[in-house]
Amino acid sequence: MSTISIKNLRKTYGPYVAVDDLTFEIPDACVFGLLGPNGAGKTTTFKCMLGLARATSGSVLYDGAPLVPETLERIAYVPERSVLYEWMTVAEHLEMQRRAYKKFNVARANELLAQFGIDLRKKARALSKGMRTATMVALAIAREADILILDEPTSGLDPINQRHVLNLIINESARGATVIFSSHQIGQVERAAERIAVIDRGRLALEGDVDSLKADRKIVEAILPSESFALNGLAGDSHILRLDRTGRIVRAMTSSDAAEVLAKFEALGASGLRIVDLNLEDIFLYAVSPADATADVVEDTKL
Amino acid sequence: MNYVEWLRVRNALRVTAICLGVLIVICLVVRISVAAQFGDRSIVDRIGREKDTVVTHSVVDGYNRTTMTNAREHTTVVIEDQPGGGKIIQVTEPSHSSRDRSESVEVGPVNVSTSQESGGIEKTTIETNRPVPFAIYLGIAAVIGLIVATVLGAPFARENDGHLEFAFLKPLSRTNNALGIIGADCVGILGSMIMAIVAFAIMHAFFEIPHFDFSGINATVIPVAIALPLSWYALLNASTASLKRGAGAVLGLAWPAAIVSQTLAHFNLGGSLAGQAFHAIFWGVSRIFPLTYVSFEGHDSDLSTLGPKLMVTATILTGLFLVYGALAVVQWRRVEA
Repeated sequence: MSTISIKNLRKTYGPYVAVDDLTFEIPDACVFGLLGPNGAGKTTTFKCMLGLARATSGSVLYDGAPLVPETLERIAYVPERSVLYEWMTVAEHLEMQRRAYKKFNVARANELLAQFGIDLRKKARALSKGMRTATMVALAIAREADILILDEPTSGLDPINQRHVLNLIINESARGATVIFSSHQIGQVERAAERIAVIDRGRLALEGDVDSLKADRKIVEAILPSESFALNGLAGDSHILRLDRTGRIVRAMTSSDAAEVLAKFEALGASGLRIVDLNLEDIFLYAVSPADATADVVEDTKL
Repeated sequence: MNYVEWLRVRNALRVTAICLGVLIVICLVVRISVAAQFGDRSIVDRIGREKDTVVTHSVVDGYNRTTMTNAREHTTVVIEDQPGGGKIIQVTEPSHSSRDRSESVEVGPVNVSTSQESGGIEKTTIETNRPVPFAIYLGIAAVIGLIVATVLGAPFARENDGHLEFAFLKPLSRTNNALGIIGADCVGILGSMIMAIVAFAIMHAFFEIPHFDFSGINATVIPVAIALPLSWYALLNASTASLKRGAGAVLGLAWPAAIVSQTLAHFNLGGSLAGQAFHAIFWGVSRIFPLTYVSFEGHDSDLSTLGPKLMVTATILTGLFLVYGALAVVQWRRVEA
């Protein structure tokens, strides 16, 4: 199996920086979710990992070694958009994969395509967007690869097939494969991923174990006495990752001891105090949303 | 070899086979129509019905000989079947010309020679089913090969257009991948040429048993006929290898560009600086195109000079194939998805 190390990865297209100094590690046999808003650099990261795009600087290592053609025998990839040959039938795509890879399991591919209800005799141009995605997923899963990289694997699928793909991802992980996938469906990532990395504008915004991220982060909500109420340096507190304020309501994201932060709000005279658990969507949004209510703004509020 | 490219080659050969098949059917229809009106027997019957004509049939050395004599017109026609299916037709008649005109014309498998005999007699000998210069077949095959080369001419650009995730993620180096694609296409182009030769041999066989002449220039021209479509394919591939879109336009414009540049290269605008510059530019541009090197203009039938010329042409075309092929591979290796 395989550990993937991404070190200081940078990819530029002319003046545009698509990925900037990205560093994280994907452990062996892990389901790893790569999250980020549109244009954050997820697909570019995948392309650099697969050698489809040349990194401007930095490196991607598989078990400590750079990507070589032989490594590709161990990697299956489902791109964001269909790359099926429009003029070829599904059966011909299957044959193409069988000839290209030693471990391609034709029986498994047939089984998966049947589960998705895809007719092998159909040409790719006759398939709907969802069916094309399903075909790509089936072809990738049938590779029985050590590393499975899926870029938006549920895009265009109906909820039933989305669930099916998610189950396949979990099954692949159970088989021992390292699964890396991106999705805008945060709920799916939360269900399947053990670790996540959030990329925003090409940079790593957050990375870690999903359970730990959720356990470590809480929101302390409070109602301030007035809209002009000053927070007296609370925004600079080392336990507070971020402070958002809307009128009298203030929400503080804490990295460790939420009770301590809550006590500080209480000491300021705030009311309606409560500690809220975060889900992955909250964590994602906090990581990537523009900080229009930064600590400084909150601190300087004098209405 | 590359499976997807094999499928493309298969499709191109399938279309080629359909086109050649249509030609064969048309040829068969023509053959059947012609047989009813212009077959040997009908011609003999028609002449035999003319007044004062005597028709005799005999067998000489196991082959039929038909002699038609018209005493009034002083004309004799002798038709002799030849081994291998050909015929020799000798027409002896009073000369229509006061001049001594002896000439020989060869059109494919037919040779027509005329000579003046003593006593004001003109003798015309028509030999059918003579060996056909294989160069003619190769010329036809090269044209078909060029067409198929144009169809297959942008294999890398086709992969660039949204399929690199398949093409570049195979566990083999990009160079080997590229060579596999080029190899498949070259086999396809050569296959189309063989199909063309077979198809035209079939069409030929509708009229007579084909015999080929492989001697002299006919053998020397084989490398040229093979290298021409392959070098054209390599040029098109090199021109499109890094394109993600618009390869079709390049393929479509390649033929006009080759013809126009070659035509303009032949223009002589005099010795002025502008004229010389114009000539130099288009002469240089025309050298890019393999078609420029294949010209029978000024060639004579002297094999001692034509043979070496063809070998030089074949060498140049092979060189172009290798250079353009390498350029295409180098470009494609650098393409990003």
